[in-house]
Amino acid sequence: MVKAKKKHRLVDTKAPNLIEDVFPYNLPPLIHLQGPVVEYIDGEAVEFDFAAVKDRPILITDTTFRDGQQARPPYTIEQMVHIYDLLAKLSGPNGVIRQTEFFLYTKNDRETLDKCRALGHTYPECTGWIRAVKGDFRLVKEAGLKETGMLTSCSDYHIFQKLKFRTRKECMDSYCEVVAAAFEAGVRPRCHLEDVTRADIEGFVLPFVDRLMEMSSEVPQELSAKIRLCDTMGFGISYPGAELPRSIPKLIYKLNVECGVPSDRLEWHGHNDFSKVHTNGGTAWLYGADFVNTTLFGFGERTGNPPLESAVIEYIALKGDMCGLDTRVITELADYMRSIGLPIPDNYPFAGRAFNVTRAGIHAGGLRQDERIYNIFDTEKLLSKPPRVAITDKSGADGVAHWVNEFFGLTGDDRINKIRIHKLARWVIDQYDVEGRLTAISDQELEVKAKEFFPDYWEKYKS
Amino acid sequence: MATVEERVKAITAQKLGVDDIKLEDSFTADLGAESVDSIELVAMFEEEFGIEMDEDAALAVQTVGDAITFIANVCKEQGVEIEQ
Repeated sequence: MVKAKKKHRLVDTKAPNLIEDVFPYNLPPLIHLQGPVVEYIDGEAVEFDFAAVKDRPILITDTTFRDGQQARPPYTIEQMVHIYDLLAKLSGPNGVIRQTEFFLYTKNDRETLDKCRALGHTYPECTGWIRAVKGDFRLVKEAGLKETGMLTSCSDYHIFQKLKFRTRKECMDSYCEVVAAAFEAGVRPRCHLEDVTRADIEGFVLPFVDRLMEMSSEVPQELSAKIRLCDTMGFGISYPGAELPRSIPKLIYKLNVECGVPSDRLEWHGHNDFSKVHTNGGTAWLYGADFVNTTLFGFGERTGNPPLESAVIEYIALKGDMCGLDTRVITELADYMRSIGLPIPDNYPFAGRAFNVTRAGIHAGGLRQDERIYNIFDTEKLLSKPPRVAITDKSGADGVAHWVNEFFGLTGDDRINKIRIHKLARWVIDQYDVEGRLTAISDQELEVKAKEFFPDYWEKYKS
Repeated sequence: MATVEERVKAITAQKLGVDDIKLEDSFTADLGAESVDSIELVAMFEEEFGIEMDEDAALAVQTVGDAITFIANVCKEQGVEIEQ
């Protein structure tokens, strides 16, 4: 048995400490960070000031129409324009969702881009995505875009096995030719370091980025190359002490401090193959990348990308402020996505139909007393989704009472107490005990019963 | 008129399908009342005695004897005549 090191005295009180500086309820729970955080890099202790993130110009970028679309059949032009419009509404006047990227190869791609820009939104800025092919800059130029992403894959899996370069130097020279072509075309290149978490960092990535920085120093500031760190296979690790190439802290430090890539030109693009995608994005922010690249509801190649809506909630939690974001649009976007056939699991955070629906009667009892007990934040205010209970044999009378009150919109002293809902509660239990039912009871079924058992309330609130 | 004890025991026996009810019997542990049974019992007591009971206080009552005392007090407060 481990020997206790310290005795802890009970702090008795009659008033609850709800820790409201962390859990304000009208905002998502806040993330208060204290520093410094130490990471050992090449044998040296390096300090990171996480608390500075509150004042740093961190932002979100979006790739719903590029990586997101690689995971599904193509959107129609109208669908993309509507989604872009909603993204702008969610982003708000400060442009927290700063950019979104578009394919440029087909007529439909270009028409979509034109229609999105015709909406006149300042944010998200529209950028392009092309292969690392010199001729493709013509497309970017013709589209009138100032910035484009381009593939600069950097692991030997890609350099040798996929792209068939004979040497790393040949590969680097080829990439740099394309970057030079971007500069010539007056287009800012955003170099996507594909498969960076499986690359030889010291042997290829850093020398390549050094060269990009040298090339950038010879062009106007607005053309200088941006770097997107692409965790193509989701190998990135957030833990302090993890080794390169998988360590996100070390990767960002090396590029930021050793290569001198400013934070506002560093972006993280993750994948969710190991269920780490959201935390890895947040980690990138904390260690010095200003941008985290996301997709709506995490739709993206294979297991997907950092979910945009989760990044939005994380952003507010780190900043301690809404920053102009209209989070209710997350629900609008989820409803729209479902309406065009994209599946969002019911228990999916912030956007699933049942993300704040409890099935346990004991939890429903808590909700009945104070919704903060079992609701993550004021989901009605922030997401237009009040906490709800789904009715099953586990719901108990508390769950049924909560459903009834929510259905009739009753609050405070107007709420119907448990005793008055006993007939409906009995009907629910008998569905399982007598009828042998195995599925949850739908809202539609409950509404029929609510009309039967509470005719006065129905008359007053529903007719 | 039957006493409060007789009326409470009769309703409990009818609702829970038990007999030989003792004053010290717990509604849940001894007589097998589940969540919904409890609120149905409270509703039936209210109807039987023509009273309204505070939900939390009524559902906090554990035993048959305590229920008799509780109901008698509520009847007194609400001016309902009963046979003790």
